[in-house]
Amino acid sequence: MSTIAQPFDFTQQQVHTKQRGLWSQAFLRLRQNRLAVISGAVLGFILLLSVLAEAVPAVRRYDYDENNYSVIDQKPSTDHFLGTDNLGRDMWSRLLQGTLFSLKIGFLAEAVVVALGITFGMLAALGGKKTDQVVVWITDMAYAFPDLLMIILFRQVLFGRAWPIIGTGDPQLPGFSGVLIATVLAISFVSWVTVCRLVRGQILSLKQSDYVMAARSIGASQWRIVRVHMLPNTLSTVIVAVTFGIPTRIFAEAALGFIGLSVPAPFASLGTLVNDGYAKIYTNNLLVIWPCIMIAVLMLCFTFLGDGLRDALDPRTRK
Amino acid sequence: MVGYTIRRILALIPLLLAVVTVTFFLMHAVQGGPFDSDRPLNEATRARLEEKYNLDGTLGEQYVHYMRNLANADLGVSFSNDRPVRAIIADRFPVSLHLGLYAFAFAITFGLVLGIVAALHQNGRWDYVTVFLSTVGAALPPFILAPFLVWTFALKLDWFNVLSSDYGPISVTDWSWIWHDMTHLQQMVLPTVALGFLPAAFIARVTRASMLEVLRQDYIRTARSKGLDHFQVVMRHAIRNALIPVLTIAGPIFAGLITGSFIIERAFSIPGLGRSFIESVINRDYGVIMGTTVFFAVIISVMNLLVDLAYAIVDPRIRL
Repeated sequence: MSTIAQPFDFTQQQVHTKQRGLWSQAFLRLRQNRLAVISGAVLGFILLLSVLAEAVPAVRRYDYDENNYSVIDQKPSTDHFLGTDNLGRDMWSRLLQGTLFSLKIGFLAEAVVVALGITFGMLAALGGKKTDQVVVWITDMAYAFPDLLMIILFRQVLFGRAWPIIGTGDPQLPGFSGVLIATVLAISFVSWVTVCRLVRGQILSLKQSDYVMAARSIGASQWRIVRVHMLPNTLSTVIVAVTFGIPTRIFAEAALGFIGLSVPAPFASLGTLVNDGYAKIYTNNLLVIWPCIMIAVLMLCFTFLGDGLRDALDPRTRK
Repeated sequence: MVGYTIRRILALIPLLLAVVTVTFFLMHAVQGGPFDSDRPLNEATRARLEEKYNLDGTLGEQYVHYMRNLANADLGVSFSNDRPVRAIIADRFPVSLHLGLYAFAFAITFGLVLGIVAALHQNGRWDYVTVFLSTVGAALPPFILAPFLVWTFALKLDWFNVLSSDYGPISVTDWSWIWHDMTHLQQMVLPTVALGFLPAAFIARVTRASMLEVLRQDYIRTARSKGLDHFQVVMRHAIRNALIPVLTIAGPIFAGLITGSFIIERAFSIPGLGRSFIESVINRDYGVIMGTTVFFAVIISVMNLLVDLAYAIVDPRIRL
């Protein structure tokens, strides 16, 4: 009796591994990166602490603008965890308030940057030759401007204007004061071109990829191709860009603060705290040390998390 | 190559015109004018001032006026002290330039040496030092490094004096400032390190990665197999090729150091161009704002162009 070769029975012989999608795999790989996990945890802790400090008086213990002239320039103690400044304001409370402000700037500005970058990047890559030329020309021009000088100029243009988004009054959006929005817009108007270039390049290369060609050949609509094939494949690039982008925005704000062009007193941002502390470095060096440590920790954590995410999201760099 | 260069230079003209236009209208969109202060001027004085500085026309007229002057290489005058903007730039820019040059030299030397040594001893002691420094360096922007350096080296150790600085006779044509800096090294060291540390860390990381990549190439193995000694292989085969990516980032870094030193200028009270820009923005001193932006934009564009050209010279595979 001749046996006919049976087709391999996949349902029976299957090697049982749990099926995982892209994100679940990426998350698994991220979890194995101890440095990235720790960084993420530290970032989460700082964020939580600064949000709690704003919401719960027991966490901030003093108000950020509460002067007490009997305790000026104190060393750290159980009364004032990080000491007090030259006006007797509690540094713990000011540092947390400044951190929250800087983090808000970082996240919000990066959100605007990514939104603008993806929109214009896709427009350039998919909108035909004319549109592409215009967008590329605009990004080229943006590269010719000195970044920080433009941020300063934009900030001055936007600062002090009424922003009638909903009604009148200063915090138009709860928790986001006018100066914060002005700073965010100034930073993002200058910074979106990098993401735009990134997205444009990625989509242009995806356009030539086999699976996009295949999808097109079986009649998938342009919108479906963009939504199902292109955006998810651009997303990992964008996520990594975001993790490195947020600290860059915080840098930009801190640089503004350092030259005295961030929030007006008595509000604090990490940049203004460094600026104020630097002026007092000869009398009370703790004032400049705390915000410096905070900025350095934020930067390091975002860098490690970004490295971890890049390794996790890029299947080609798998070990 | 010549054709490419000419095309790129011609493409700079509309680009710079756009930069001038955008800056002009942005600047006029800043609230308040150059003569607004806490105490309002009386109407007649104000009108006279505006007439004197050609601010009395419509925005369009002012723009045409400015462009016409610009075509004659006239950048106008500063409203705060009537000095020609060109003279201000000529005065202030050399200060920023030499600070930028020192920082660049520091960043390149430090970055290259660390990066190459690290790559040659991968996973060795120096490699860990480099990886550590380049990671930490990325987290220490100038405005954080400056207070730290001042506190440690000027206050605690008292090696440098940052309180009294003398930037000497500065002019574009007079190169004696080089000698002046050599004799006033104590005021240059801390700003140089503060400004150059971040790019040094970046260059070290790029050099290390690029060296590691090159050392794995076949032609390195071939060179070794032909019996060349280690030193020759590294110097003649590896480093040359590993430097190409470094060259790409060196141009923007240089432009960034020259045009972006105003944080350090503020931290160390250095009278550079960046500081005068900040003052001019706050005082809405239109002439200085425009002059500085245009000047910096020219520098950045020319640097980008030079890098692209240098790239083609170093890497013969690139045809322009």
